[in-house]
Amino acid sequence: MTQEKKITVKKQAYLVNDEIADKIRRLMKEKNKLFFNIMGSIGAGKTLLLERITEKLSAHYKIFVINGDVATTIDADRIAAQGATTVQINTGGGCHLNANLIQKELDKINIDDYDIFFAENVGNLICPSAWDVGAQMNIVVVSITEGEYVIKKHPIIFKGAEIAVINKCDLDGLGFDSDILVEDASKIKSDMEVICTSAKTSLGLEALIEALGIQLP
Amino acid sequence: MHEYSLASAIVEQVRKIAQEHNASKVKTIIVSADPYEMVIPDLLKEAYGIITDEHELFKDSKLELIILPAEIICIDCDHKGEPSMEGDEEFAYNFRCAKCGSRDTHLNIRHLTIETVDLEIPE
Ligand SMILES: Nc1nc2c(ncn2[C@@H]2O[C@H](COP(=O)(O)OP(=O)(O)O)[C@@H](O)[C@H]2O)c(=O)[nH]1
Ligand SMILES: [Mg+2]
Ligand SMILES: [Zn+2]
Repeated sequence: MTQEKKITVKKQAYLVNDEIADKIRRLMKEKNKLFFNIMGSIGAGKTLLLERITEKLSAHYKIFVINGDVATTIDADRIAAQGATTVQINTGGGCHLNANLIQKELDKINIDDYDIFFAENVGNLICPSAWDVGAQMNIVVVSITEGEYVIKKHPIIFKGAEIAVINKCDLDGLGFDSDILVEDASKIKSDMEVICTSAKTSLGLEALIEALGIQLP
Repeated sequence: MHEYSLASAIVEQVRKIAQEHNASKVKTIIVSADPYEMVIPDLLKEAYGIITDEHELFKDSKLELIILPAEIICIDCDHKGEPSMEGDEEFAYNFRCAKCGSRDTHLNIRHLTIETVDLEIPE
């Protein structure tokens, strides 16, 4: 004999993820570390920006970068060449990083060996927004070559971000227009920090580093 | 495409709940989410089917998704509730305040939540 029973659960599917994310955030804060989650579309320039940032900071800070990608270690190798310690997480088709994946990588290192942590999330403007990785700040990178509708089509990920980076601004006026994207990103919320950059020419790099709250001596 | 991760998270939690209640079968799981969660219902069900396939505990079980209305909290006028009925002619998702028209709103996202689970429990 069996009986049927309805159980009221009322629990978020993200429960386990969010607990780990909060733990990471608390630990980083306690240890006075900075941890940034870099999200954005495929090819927006997340890796090249991280290369430029690392190049600029590595003389002063120890940097650890966790690269999320569906496959390959290309991005991690590129950033490592600029003086950071990097690790590649291959999500094997998974479209976003999560707190558990980050925690596993942090378990393998001594956090005290580093000052600043970055996660380069999987290229995607939908899925990463719901999965907290435990960062103190979320940054979304889009580029002006993605067309003028890229923010209009994907506003939700920007709502959860503190900084919107509009990249590839070296191509501004060459058939691409940064104005529309800057305007759209600003419309999403009034306290959004919108920064135009070029990871190619380093335009806007200092403004971005400042917005991250990183001091350069 | 995060439906697969979500379905995994649901199955993981429901399995624990079933264990706690010494259940022999999971019959129906009801979950809810709002449009800002960007979950595609068919993909979620498909992922759930793939994950639970060949699991005796989940055999013939059903996953139902309730889509809740979107909700915003306006930073300009404090209005809390559904966004503007007229929608937003510019953005693909509507987060405009219904009272003052501001887009400076906080999304009160109702993330994917397991509401209820129907279990079969041996007596
Ligand atoms: N012109 C220009 N090209 C860029 C810029 N940033 C990245 N790229 C190029 O865009 C391509 C994708 O960059 P990548 O950093 O791999 O993008 P990710 O997928 O976001 O990590 C590469 O060929 C880069 O050289 C930029 O600011 N300006
Ligand atoms: Mg990359
Ligand atoms: Zn309002």
